[in-house]
Amino acid sequence: MIYNKTTVVIFLLFLVIEVSCERKQAAQFKDEQDIIRLTYWCASNQDEINLAKELVNEWNAEHPKVQVVLQPIPASQSSEEALLAAIAGKTTPDVCSNMWPGAMDDFTSSGGLVRLDQFPDFIEYMQKRMPEELLESFRSPDSHYYQIPWKTNPIMVMYNKKMFREAGIVRPPRTYSEYLAAAEKITKDINGDGRIDRWMGYRDIRPIWWQRLFDYYPLYIAASGGMTLFSGSEIAFANEASVKVFQFFNELYRYGYYPLTTFQGDAFLAEQVATQFTGPWNVIHVENFKPPGFEYGISPIPVPDDYNGPVYTYGDHKNISIFSTTEHPEAAWQFTKFLISAQADLRLLEICSQIPLRKNLTVVPLYHEYFLENPMMMQFAEQAVYTRGVDGSSVLKEIFDAISQEYEICAVYNKRMPQEAVANAAKRAQIIIEWNRK
Amino acid sequence: MKAGFPVNKIKNKTGYLMSLPYILYFCLFIGFPLIFSFILIFHKWNIVTPMQWVGLRNFYRLFHDVQFFTSIRNTLIFLVIHIPLQIVIALFLAVILNQKIKFKGFFRALYFLPVVVSGVVVTILWQQLYAYETGLLNLLLTRLGITKIPWLTDSRWAMPSIAIMATWKNVGLYIVLFLVGLQSIPHYLYEAAEMDGARSLQQFFHITLPALNNTMVLVVILSTIGGFSLFIEPFVMTGGGPMNSTLSAMLYIYNQAFYFGHMGYAATLGFFFALIILIVVLIQKKIVERKD
Repeated sequence: MIYNKTTVVIFLLFLVIEVSCERKQAAQFKDEQDIIRLTYWCASNQDEINLAKELVNEWNAEHPKVQVVLQPIPASQSSEEALLAAIAGKTTPDVCSNMWPGAMDDFTSSGGLVRLDQFPDFIEYMQKRMPEELLESFRSPDSHYYQIPWKTNPIMVMYNKKMFREAGIVRPPRTYSEYLAAAEKITKDINGDGRIDRWMGYRDIRPIWWQRLFDYYPLYIAASGGMTLFSGSEIAFANEASVKVFQFFNELYRYGYYPLTTFQGDAFLAEQVATQFTGPWNVIHVENFKPPGFEYGISPIPVPDDYNGPVYTYGDHKNISIFSTTEHPEAAWQFTKFLISAQADLRLLEICSQIPLRKNLTVVPLYHEYFLENPMMMQFAEQAVYTRGVDGSSVLKEIFDAISQEYEICAVYNKRMPQEAVANAAKRAQIIIEWNRK
Repeated sequence: MKAGFPVNKIKNKTGYLMSLPYILYFCLFIGFPLIFSFILIFHKWNIVTPMQWVGLRNFYRLFHDVQFFTSIRNTLIFLVIHIPLQIVIALFLAVILNQKIKFKGFFRALYFLPVVVSGVVVTILWQQLYAYETGLLNLLLTRLGITKIPWLTDSRWAMPSIAIMATWKNVGLYIVLFLVGLQSIPHYLYEAAEMDGARSLQQFFHITLPALNNTMVLVVILSTIGGFSLFIEPFVMTGGGPMNSTLSAMLYIYNQAFYFGHMGYAATLGFFFALIILIVVLIQKKIVERKD
């Protein structure tokens, strides 16, 4: 009997424990169900992964109900390819922070992105963050916003101060004539073996469309006073500015100031070239790997001799978008606001040395100390106001390809006159537009 | 009869079961893509937006596309340089390696090594060798008092340079094929020729070459098909330049599909290009059969 009583008590005790455990588990399960999970894709370079990790950890700690899972954009030729494949396979993340404005047309026409101006505070929030005119330039043709302007990498000239000093050049060249004159002094055979081993600069001459984003395009924007390839839906690059840029590069290659070769490693840090067209992301790289005694400076993109006015350049903007596959657009928007907060922008500067698209960046006290410690970045930040992006056109790559073909023939190999080359590129671009319109 | 029937049926079932993995593979990775790309020929499609029917417009564009025909011409130029060069070098080395020489195995492995090395790695290495100002080849030429060659930066030199590199990369495979052919030639033929007073060169032209005819056909067809798929070398080394002189048909099709998102047009180019390969291979076959 005693045995039976003990058994009953143990059984009841077990039952009570079991029921309470189940209740606890059910409550936990309910809690789990209440947690919103967002996937966030960042650029796959190490600096941006580090930044994203830090920000995501901070967000997750502060927002237990909205947890973010970080993943760098899958390996591919370009982020755009990976994202297009993800759209096709319906495997897009909730948020992605490496959106190139030039590819927006493909993303929006497929209905792959969330319309951001549906969030009541979007316009107000963005207007507080950045100049209205600049924000306007990211509006899609359907008059809505699908990208959150995040950062810019203004292309400028990075030059080797020691090489300039040795050549008797007192200040970095501002015009084409000054640049060519400096190039004449710098390009030479240093070790006396009869081979040129120091050049003014170096660019990849392969006719690959995106290479032109770092030579022809910034110089075209500068020479034209801030124009892009299109004006509305019409081609606008067939002008005197393009001709002058083609002519300028033609002279650089014709006189051997730029070599027709490929370099292994970094020719700028190896002191084989005196200048390079580059963005702020390169500052960290140069600082980390510069040889002893290496001195460098930053100056604006050279402009035609008769140019007057502010010097614009290509901004190489990268933005943030929310994909329409998200089940939690509101949470994704809140997370995105966190990514572009003032403090997150400071970390963007510190970790990635890239410029946030933010009003009065150089005078806001929060960033003051950073710019004091990094004077090179100050120059990029000041230039950021005078940047232009790319046109959001579905045929942009093809038009850059057409320009690249003619640039190669005219500027690199001197087989065609600049006027004719620019006219040919424009004619080809028109055919491309017509073909894609049908 | 009746008793045997179920056994046959079981055997058939086993056969079908055994070939099922390949049938599945064929349907998924060959059959479906082939049918899908045929459908694409008549459409405009950039992967993300819905397909748009364009009828025969892709063909109209093809026949007006100067760059595509330039890319076909470039591919043919590559073949004209690459195939004879490859056959001569592979045969020459195979004949040497078929002799009684020391370290035969080592040399055979050495020549085969580039075949198994990644194409991209080889291409990047050769890009550095070919560099005009800083490359090793031009450094050697300068030391010998010879003018530097713009290997990859002159439209006349670029495709031959790529053909030389491709020959270096693939020659090991064809050496193996020729070695197999050489080792199957009966030795008594050479003994008889020697007794008749035939010299080495005469033996080569009258015994070795005719006996290698089948191997030669195989080598020509394999290297033709391989040559038509020229892609990695121009993609990495030149991007199709200078002035489109190394733009191969495969590179052009790739650009249309994956850079510019013209999947339908790229499919049209692909089918047209496959037709050209078929015609060339049929002509080659006809010539060789006539010789037989």
